[in-house]
This record gives sequence, structure tokens and C-alpha cells, in this order.
Amino acid sequence: MVQLADPIMRLSKRKANQTNFIQKTAIAIAILLFASAFFAPLIVPFDPLDQSLLSRLRPPLGFERFAVGHWAGTDELGRDVLSRALHGMRLTLSLAFAGAVIGLLIGGTLGLIAGLRQGWAEDAIMSLVDMQIAIPFTLVALLILSLMGSSLTVLVMVLGIAGWEQYARIVRAEVRRLSALPFIEAAWTAGAGPIYIAWRHVLPNLISPLVVQFTLALSNIVILESTLSFLGLGVQPPQPSLGSMVGLGRDYMPTAPWIVLVPAALIMALTFSVQILGDWLRDRADVRLRDR
Amino acid sequence: MFRLMLATALAALPLAASAQEITVGAANMAAYLDPGRDHSNVGSQFYYNSFDTLIDRDHTKLAPEWEPALATSWELIEPTIMELKLRENVKFHNGDAMTADDVIFSLNRMMQATFPPYVVRAKDRLANFPMAEKVDEHTIRIRANREEPLWETLISLQQVMIIPEAYTKALTGDPLVAEDSDFEAFALAPVGTGPYRIETFQPGESLVWERFDNFWGDKAPLERVNVVQISETASRLTALKTGEADIITNIAPDQLSLIDKDKNLKTAGSATALFHVMIMNQNHPKLEDPRIRQAMSLAIDRDALNEALWLGKGVVPSTHTMAEMGALHQPDLVTFEYDPERAKALLKEAGYDGFEITFDTAPSYYTNGLLAAQAIMEMWAAVGLNGKVVVGDKWTGNSPDLMARNWSNPMYFADPFGSFGVMWAPDGPSQSEGRFNTDADYAQKWERFRYSTDLEERKVAYAELMERVKENPAVLPLYRPFESWGMKNAINWAPMPGHIPYVLDFRAGSITLTDS
Repeated sequence: MVQLADPIMRLSKRKANQTNFIQKTAIAIAILLFASAFFAPLIVPFDPLDQSLLSRLRPPLGFERFAVGHWAGTDELGRDVLSRALHGMRLTLSLAFAGAVIGLLIGGTLGLIAGLRQGWAEDAIMSLVDMQIAIPFTLVALLILSLMGSSLTVLVMVLGIAGWEQYARIVRAEVRRLSALPFIEAAWTAGAGPIYIAWRHVLPNLISPLVVQFTLALSNIVILESTLSFLGLGVQPPQPSLGSMVGLGRDYMPTAPWIVLVPAALIMALTFSVQILGDWLRDRADVRLRDR
Repeated sequence: MFRLMLATALAALPLAASAQEITVGAANMAAYLDPGRDHSNVGSQFYYNSFDTLIDRDHTKLAPEWEPALATSWELIEPTIMELKLRENVKFHNGDAMTADDVIFSLNRMMQATFPPYVVRAKDRLANFPMAEKVDEHTIRIRANREEPLWETLISLQQVMIIPEAYTKALTGDPLVAEDSDFEAFALAPVGTGPYRIETFQPGESLVWERFDNFWGDKAPLERVNVVQISETASRLTALKTGEADIITNIAPDQLSLIDKDKNLKTAGSATALFHVMIMNQNHPKLEDPRIRQAMSLAIDRDALNEALWLGKGVVPSTHTMAEMGALHQPDLVTFEYDPERAKALLKEAGYDGFEITFDTAPSYYTNGLLAAQAIMEMWAAVGLNGKVVVGDKWTGNSPDLMARNWSNPMYFADPFGSFGVMWAPDGPSQSEGRFNTDADYAQKWERFRYSTDLEERKVAYAELMERVKENPAVLPLYRPFESWGMKNAINWAPMPGHIPYVLDFRAGSITLTDS
């Protein structure tokens, strides 16, 4: 009789130890997009704010009325769509990174406190987590931006509090799991304080799940920033972000669709590739999958 | 063959519902409907179909030719008293017969206004009229404080359209007293004498007009008109293409090709009798030096804006004037120019240190408004001005923090008083909001312009006012926007030159349907 390998092991091994074609492609796209965003000021053909009023709404390469040099066409003020899209992606990613870092700091700290202190502190923090999960955050973000204005500082703070509860839950669960392990108990017995234990023993074990969560949160924040800017409450003109380009260009969808399609394609590619990257990192970090 | 069949089928597409019913996709719908308190570009679309004035004009003509409306005749019996004979057998939409008391009530609700929104409107355009009085059941008199050069013009304003007294007073509280709450209620359930009664009105959403069979004049050509707000330009275009709407409003020139390419659709447009303007706060601490504001104005290449945003179809004025003003149209005056070198020199003289100048704009209220604001920032940057666009829906014209923003100066009536005058009079809206100053000299010039019965004297005084504006600018008219409406081929409609901006005139003679 032919002995079949354990199906779970086959699947797990492929997921964990082999990087499949989709993952390779996604990682390549993510690297390309991140590099394009990072080096945007060096590689774009035009200043993203430079207007050419008499060259408005020119189509991309390959269409009639193409304006030389404007490979992805021009927008409603004659600005180069490619240059704006890459600069917009740079700003969108910067905001997303800043937001994800703030979320990580807030959520990580609160999760750590909840996990280590337990008792009323844990109850209070986890109630806040439940509230955050229960309320549709886009509405909260809209309210805050409507009341406080759409400055970049407010926007970053809003993006920062968008996903802190995920970090808090992960960190709390991990801390509670680690607390029951012998080496932590040994540290307590040896008279180590909570800050020492958190810093020396707990945090190093949290890095892996936090990196994964950070990557997954990044794509969600990209979408949130794009949504807010699309609605006119995020990045303000003339500064481009991917969402604001889609938002301001939507009136031109019937006549000049490239104004919307280019940034929309970048949003899609960015979130897709970062999401796959996050999945890949999660698989790599999961010892249960990795060690099989 | 298939294409021929398809073309035939599309050409035969019916109007949205039936032969005498159309649907209008409007960029904006009013939050209330009261011709007395309203002077917005949104509201002005809707009043003429449902309300009448005492005196009307031939709207097919640019120059005013006065016509009887709810008054059949009128004459000045003294230089400050006009007597009008009222039309008989006029009915309101609620079935009440129009009486002299209704007319007096309508006029005096403005001329002796106590309801704050009426007070504002009366002050800026009807201040010369203290009252109207009844002579008999079919005759009334309107009194003026001073000899009035614009009698017919001001008696034909939207703000003095006629409404029913008993109906309005009975809307809330004491049915015999006109309370503020009555006027608030009227604005949500308006009743007039025009050819279409307002069947339903959802503020900010929709309006349905229904033919009023007891109208005193020519029968309305449409049985029913549905007006729905479709804010997004792309959505309005789609609504027209799919047949959801028969007419759509506010199409920017760069979107027209999409309609014109479709052989079942067409467009109509005109350089609307309205200026998109930039206003500057004379009282902002950083803008008190007029040289800074002069530079802000001189830096703007309005011809380039017109060419780019309106495909050259708009009108860039040299001064605050329009052809509709007839004998008082003064295109030879040069108040506003593009001179970037002079702008740079003025900034240097004024010691401008590069402080940020904010330019407020709503995201979509004015067609091309946000685009123009962004383009202006580039033009400012070219002369060294550090501008920043601030986007928001809130009106900031009354804020002491205002530095500059966009606004419009519509032609509320065909006279310089009806455009520049309403907005920039001593103690007018601009001064009341704290961003514009006048003095005794300005007021004296204003008096001569407003009240002189000598046409030449009015022209001279207006030119002197424009010189004051040039010296100490608070406003720059950018252009008359070229506004367009898209519609099905079966509809024969176009904006008329004798109307104020944006009026959707569907009265007899103004619209016909090919298949009706």
C-alpha cells in the first residue's frame, strides 16, 4: 500500500518553508513600490505640484494627444500623474508607517500592562479594546477630522489610534502565555521587577508577532488614509496622496480615467502585496508551521 | 445593421417618464425655498417656475423690456410713489384668490422686515422702500424714500415675489399674526402663483413641480418636473446617459465633449451673469497694507485660468461690469490687471517677508473653484507669495482670520447695483462681515452712483468707486464662468439672457419637448 504523507504536514511545509509564486511576486511588487516611494524625489520626471494649465487632461502614452514626458498623462491642472502618484504613494506610506508605529506603541504598551498587571487594569484596558472593536472606526475618524480639521498631525494621530487594539490583544495574550512559562516564574522567584521582566524576557518574545501585525496593519491604514483623503478629510490639495488623487479625480472618470486609475492601481498593488507579505511573515514566524 | 438598430432604438428613447414629465439632475438642491430670504445660486434655480413678481421682463432679451405680471399696469404718480393695478382672478397654488392684501403682505414682509433673514435681504437691495400700501382691492402703491432710478428693476426682484398672507400666517401659532416661525414653515411648504406648484420638497434632496391648472398666464408646457440632487459631476453625466435624468446642470466645459459625442444628447450653455471672485480681508493684520492685496490680485493670470478651466468660453472682465447692465456697462474701465512684475515690486516695497497667505475654498460648491484656487497658488508662488489652499465647506467670509477665499458676485438684477452694489455697499454684506471698509468719501461716491437719476452721473460715480477698489482691493472678479446644461435631444431648452444666473425657466415659451 502506498503511504501518503500527512496532508497537514504537506500543506504546512509548503506554506512555511517554500515561498510560492504569488508570494514571490507580491514581495517583488512590495519592494518595487517601497523603493519607488522612497526614491520618488529622485526618479519622478516632474515636480508633483508643477502645473501646466494648457496641458490639462492629456492621456497616457499610446493615446492621441499624449504629451511627451507625461507617461501616465496629466491631471486636471496639467500636473504629471505619474509624479503625483509616486509622491502620493510616498506620503501615503509615510502616514501609514507613522500611524502603524503609533498604534504599535499605544497598543503594545497597554497590552503589556494588561498582561503583566492583570486585575482592574486589565479589565479597563480590555474594555477599551472591546469598545474600539465595536465602533466602526471610519466614522470615528470622520468625526475627529471634521471637528479638529485635516492637518497632517491630526491625520497621523487618527491613523495611529486606528488599530491599536489589535496590538493590545496580541501582546496581552502573548504576555499571559509567557507568564506561565518556567523561565518567567524563575525570574519572579529570583526577585526581578516587572519592568525588568518585561524588557528582558517578554519583549524579545513579542517581536515576531508584532512585526507580523505591523505589516498587516500597514495595509489597513493605507486603505483608511486613502478613504479619508478620498472623502476630502485627509491630505489636502495640492499635496497628493493616493486617496486624494482618486477623490479629486473622480469627476473626471468619464473623460480622463487615468487620473483615477493610476493611483487606484497603486493602492490595490500596495495593499495586496503588503497583505501577502504579512501572511508570508506570519507563516515564517509560526513555529508550529516552521518546525514541521 | 446592429449599429443602425441600436442608433434607432436610442434615438427613440423616451424621456424619463412620459412625454410631459422630465427629470432634472441638479448639482445642488436648496435647503429651503423662500424667494424673499434667498439669494443663493442654488435657490435661484427654482423660484421662477412657482412664483410671480408684480412686474416681469422679457427674458429672451438682454436689455430689460418690462412686462405686466401680477400688476397689469404701473405709473409713477409722484417721483417717490409708484401706483400699480393688480391683475384680477389670480389664484395661489393652495386655491386662495390673490388679493391686494396678499401683495401688501408680501412686499411689507421685506420692506418692513422683522424676520432676520428678510432684514438682511431688504437692507442690501430694498432699503429705499419704506412700505407698500393698499389703495383699493385692485390697486396698491409703493413708496420710496428718495427718487428711485431703478423702480421696475427692483419691483421685479425675486425677493418681492408674491406669497399668500392667510396661508403663511396660519402655518404656525396665531393664524392672524405673521410670526418668524410662519416664515420658517413657509420655506419648507412654499406656495406661490406661478405655473408650477411645488408638490413635494425634500430640502437638500429633491423637488417635484406639478403643472398648476389655475395659473393666470399661459399654461405650463410640462405636467410634472422632478428635480433630484446629484452632487457628483460623473454621476450626473451617467444619469443623463442612462436616461435617469433628462436635463443635468453645472457641467464644466472639459466634460462637455462626453455629452456632445453622444448623438442622442446635447448641451446648452452661457457665460453666466455672475463673477467668480477672490475676496481679500482688508482687516487681517497681515494684509492691512493694500500693496500686499494689490500684489495678490496682480499676480493672477485670469486669462490663463479662463483658457485652461473654461476653454476660453468664460469672460474675463477688466472691471466689475457686465453687458447685462446696458448703459452702465463700462468695459473700458481697467480696474483689474495681470502684471506679475508690478506684483513683485509691490511686495518688495511692502516688505513682504514670506508669511503664509491662506486661500479658503469649498471643495465643490463652485464649478472649477478648487482647481482655480490651486492654480492661483502657483501664480502667487511665481511672484513670491506663499499661498496655501484651505479646503472646507464652512463659510469663512465672516471670520477675522480670513485672508483670502473664493466667492461669487451674482447679478441679482441688471444694474451695477445688482452685482457689485449689493455686495460692496457701505454697511453691505462685505462690510458687515468685517472684511471690507468704507469711509465718507466712498459713501458719497456710492450715494451718487446709487441714487442719481442722471445716467452719466451714475457712470462717473461707479468709475470712481472702481478706482477706490483698485487702490485698496478687497475683491478681484476672476471670470464669468461658462455654465452648461446637458440634455436629451428631445428637449429644447437653453438659459435665457434676461434671467439672473442659474434660473431653470420651464414656463410656456421657454421649454418644449420634441415629442409633445
